[in-house]
Amino acid sequence: MFLLLMLAAYAAGAVTALALPPARGRRPAAACLALGALAGAVAGARVVITGQPVGWELPSSLPGLALLLELDPLGGFFLCLIGLVVLPAAIYAPDYLASPAAPDAAGGAHAADGGRVAGALTALFILSMSLVVAAGNVFTFLLCWEGMAVCSLLLVVGDGATEERRGAGRWYAGMAHAGFLLIAACLLLLAARTSGGAFADIRGASYGLGTGARNAMFLMALFGFGSKAGLVPLQGWLPRAHPAAPSHVSALMSGAMLKLGLYGFLRVVFDLLGGGPPWWGGLALALGIISALYGVLYALLERDLKRLLAYSSIENLGLIFMGAGLGLVFHGAGRGDLAALALLASLFHAFNHAAFKGLLFMGAGSVVRATGTRDLEAMGGLIKRMPWTAACTLVGAMAIAALPPLNGFASEWLLFQSLMAGVGVAGPLFAVAMAMSVGALALTGGLAAACFVKAFGITFLALPRGRAAAEAAESPRLMRLAMLIPAAACVLLGILAPSFGRFTAAALAAVPWLDPSSASFRLDAGFEVRDGFGRIAPAVLALLLLGSAAAAWGAVRLLASRRRRVGETWGCGRIGQTSRMEYTAAAFAEPLLRVFGDLLRPTRDLTIEFHPESKYFVRSIGYRTRVRAWLEEDLAGAIRRLLRPLGGSGRLIQSGSVHLYIAYVFAALLAFLLLARWM
Amino acid sequence: MSVEIFTTVMTLASSLVLLAGIAILWRRSLPAYIHAFARQSFFIVVAVLVLAARERDRELVLVALLMFALKVVFMPAALRRVQRHVGADADVRPYVNTPVSLAIAGILTLVAYAVAQPVVALSHLPTRGGMPLALASVFVGLFIVASRRSALSQIVGFLVMENGIALLAVLATYGVPLIVELGVFLDVLLGFLVMQVFVYRIRDAFETTDVDRLRSLRH
Amino acid sequence: MIGAGGGATGLGAILVEVLQGLLALLLAPGIVGLVRFIKARLQGRRGAPPWQPYRELAKLFGKEMVVSRNASWIFGVAPYVVFASTLAVALLVPMLAAPLPIDRAGDLIVVVYLLLLGTFAIGLAGLDPGSAFGGMGSSRALTIAALAEPTIALAVFALAVPAGSTNLGRIVARAIEDPGGALSPGHLMALAALFIVMLAEAGRLPVDNPATHLELTMIHEAMILEYSGRSLALLEWAAFLKFFVFLSLLANLGLPWGVALNPGASAVLVAAAILIVKVALLAAAVAVLETRLAKLRLFRVPELLSVSFLLALLAITSSFLVE
Repeated sequence: MFLLLMLAAYAAGAVTALALPPARGRRPAAACLALGALAGAVAGARVVITGQPVGWELPSSLPGLALLLELDPLGGFFLCLIGLVVLPAAIYAPDYLASPAAPDAAGGAHAADGGRVAGALTALFILSMSLVVAAGNVFTFLLCWEGMAVCSLLLVVGDGATEERRGAGRWYAGMAHAGFLLIAACLLLLAARTSGGAFADIRGASYGLGTGARNAMFLMALFGFGSKAGLVPLQGWLPRAHPAAPSHVSALMSGAMLKLGLYGFLRVVFDLLGGGPPWWGGLALALGIISALYGVLYALLERDLKRLLAYSSIENLGLIFMGAGLGLVFHGAGRGDLAALALLASLFHAFNHAAFKGLLFMGAGSVVRATGTRDLEAMGGLIKRMPWTAACTLVGAMAIAALPPLNGFASEWLLFQSLMAGVGVAGPLFAVAMAMSVGALALTGGLAAACFVKAFGITFLALPRGRAAAEAAESPRLMRLAMLIPAAACVLLGILAPSFGRFTAAALAAVPWLDPSSASFRLDAGFEVRDGFGRIAPAVLALLLLGSAAAAWGAVRLLASRRRRVGETWGCGRIGQTSRMEYTAAAFAEPLLRVFGDLLRPTRDLTIEFHPESKYFVRSIGYRTRVRAWLEEDLAGAIRRLLRPLGGSGRLIQSGSVHLYIAYVFAALLAFLLLARWM
Repeated sequence: MSVEIFTTVMTLASSLVLLAGIAILWRRSLPAYIHAFARQSFFIVVAVLVLAARERDRELVLVALLMFALKVVFMPAALRRVQRHVGADADVRPYVNTPVSLAIAGILTLVAYAVAQPVVALSHLPTRGGMPLALASVFVGLFIVASRRSALSQIVGFLVMENGIALLAVLATYGVPLIVELGVFLDVLLGFLVMQVFVYRIRDAFETTDVDRLRSLRH
Repeated sequence: MIGAGGGATGLGAILVEVLQGLLALLLAPGIVGLVRFIKARLQGRRGAPPWQPYRELAKLFGKEMVVSRNASWIFGVAPYVVFASTLAVALLVPMLAAPLPIDRAGDLIVVVYLLLLGTFAIGLAGLDPGSAFGGMGSSRALTIAALAEPTIALAVFALAVPAGSTNLGRIVARAIEDPGGALSPGHLMALAALFIVMLAEAGRLPVDNPATHLELTMIHEAMILEYSGRSLALLEWAAFLKFFVFLSLLANLGLPWGVALNPGASAVLVAAAILIVKVALLAAAVAVLETRLAKLRLFRVPELLSVSFLLALLAITSSFLVE
């Protein structure tokens, strides 16, 4: 029921956006989307809690082409996740798009049609995302997957007015379609053994596959879905596409769409293929670790606020895939109880990431809207002019840095515990590998903390570094409300983590061969992992922290002097502080850039202009450091070189004549019919 | 002495030997290298003495004393003299920077464990826990030889490697017969003296002990 | 949350918990004073008496607070966050008795991330007034904190897996029951690694010089350069407390004897006396060490941290790879 309501609301949103003029249509459309998000979340939550899948079918006379929706607990969990991101994004969008100061980041809003198409595309994008997790057969899944990719691609490109957006579009289109080909090949191979390609039929049939075929399908699924999730080496599109899109779309893409990479991976590898040998999981785990470290290192060095967040998404998706890979390893080793623990960590972190990354992208959007730039070096001091945005963003930054008692910590703790659980599973060398993974995870956490101190501190604290930042104004009320929702979610999911953990565990019941009832964790007032190997109670921790702070505050209030004076910042005796004396984002990251210099390969230019009379007097010093994302660029260059000859030969059959293209289609049709006849 | 405590102490001593070898990778000056080597040798002497006490073996005590005289007293002193004589060439100029060196040492230790596993599995000695560590210090010594430019630091690397072999012999055989041990000592001493002569020669010819310069002999 | 598993329940446990918090709060300045005193003597100076830090705190709490006009509310809140997170850590680390019921609220990983919470807050506060020194300090402090994380995690791993728990109370209780394990190379190397990172985290030599007055070499002092009056007092106290907690954690992991396994009044009092002795000895060791060491260049700190990482890795290999 709620599922249909959700579909109707999203469709209504698309129609409203298209039909009404943007100035009047944005709010009704947003209301439709928000309603849809709520309905979707309720539908998803009901399925997770009751454990009863709901379904709906649109039959078709052609075999395999029926639209089949079947929402099981795993899909329901992801539907809740999508709802969590869509609801604030929908509330956020109207004022954000209406703002006259909205810079080019607002994407298609200022296109010739005033953003009607963009509004409708956003609704369709959300609709197709929601249908992906509800898809019950291969055809529906692929159709919605492609719809989701195309809508988001169009939103990224917008009017295509700037080279940045066109470049982002090229990267995204290439990666998304390469990934789609892999996914389609994998799913169609799976479906080939059944009559209709329904997931329920594939589950039973996938046992009979040979080892080689299963390995090939796993690799296709890993890299196909990995390209959507931004796993290294398929991450190149992410730091380009996310900043180019309007901020609420970035929030949707980063908060929700990337998670569907995880959903697809879980659905195909765990559900349809039923798990595999341990090396499958090992590969996913390794890719996860590499992505986490890669993402956080580049995020740390980035000076473009939205690119920073995009790199941080690579990091978090890496963490999420670490959990999934680990679950696969445990599953392969016959430890379903531990696999449930690792998957719990993965799903929990996916949900948390949806909350804080959506929040951070909306916060970044507010900042960009107020200052007209994404450059950290031009910001500063915004906490005084935008207190609400600053407070919400601070919650997001602390949550993503995994600080207790917020939600990021709960899921990273689970991930730590799952890695430690790996010690007894395989041989001693595997135990050492687990130890190294723990080290990598901890390094990621530490670097993420440094990264978000930089991102928040440089953006919001100290003196404004530019005129725009000095004159920034707080966002309108609806945008603030939109940011408060995920901020509250970050706090609640952290403090009530065990209750939410139960919900997540219920979603795992959908994955066969996993038995959450025998799982190695217990959730009551706190988390308990593996019979007391690890125990925490986030609510008690929060109380402990609050109590200590309150006690300190009370004692200071009672006993200490209350005199307070406002003065200048100490500048070694120099009077008059200017923003040029502040630490910059580049300077903040410099020590870590040096430490990881061999990996990041920065180029530095130092130009000193001397006084013409004497070289003991310096007129100006210029210092420029640039870090090239060489892995992305070199890989893309290699692929381009490889494909160029192919593209050249492809040009032979392109003439631009419509008749010729129709002839091609006709010939292809005939060829397939003949093929089908003789096979 | 109970077997458990004996095992723990021997493993501890082997770990200390390896750590002293790894400490060289973190230090930067030749005097520090020589000091670390002397310390490493001292830990081996301790290990041999503990073994001697457990086995009540006089020959082992003799070996320990000889080892002390040669490796803790004589060789470090000789090395220091050479270093003073050669001049202000205290910098070791590694090819590989410190964090990477340490990372490689970690990997070498893992490899040593992997390689030594079959031997350890076969052995029933209470000292078998230290064998991978001894092997790891052999590897670390080889790595020092390979990664340091100055000829003197290469000698230290060689000696560290030899220490690893000596420790392995002690752990695996409970001390080889005295006569064999004497032969090994003599070998090491001779090798050491020959290398010392070489260092002087290199320095006379190139005015430095940087073995990179030997490349110019190709032309 | 009070229930099976913990050794102690009920009112007694809560009393022990309160006693532990008060003890840590009250002793911490004295221990830092002791380190300073011993250092001064070793360097041939007379030095201030060990109770000097108490006088400093009292003076700072009575003084007027000067706040930069560029600072925001973050600047005012950060000292409380730092203090509260450190105090929470002090309550989670078993000092007198183990395991207490509070042990189930947080484990070693929580301790690590609570400390990171403090670093996060003080890092932001360093950037807030807009001074170059503050920015420099927070950039360096977060660099060191980030690079110390892997070692800490590995040390946690090396301590937790043999003990069968990440919860500190259980680790300490297990160490008392099995004293042979405390001598094993794995345990010792993990402690050594932890000791190095703790020096780095507590801002001691050779990573940071707590007595420096040159802005360019400061790390922790540079971040709190803008603080004065009661805020500074809170931050200083939190720093003392952190040092004390580290020392007692190391003492109870390395030499667990003396920690009460049941929270009876006499056992807890004996435990408190033994704890003071152990921590004072460790403090003396730190003082000797600091007298012998020079501060490292900032860019050699990562090398030091990689040494500690290697130690932790060796700890793990030697405890898992030998059978």
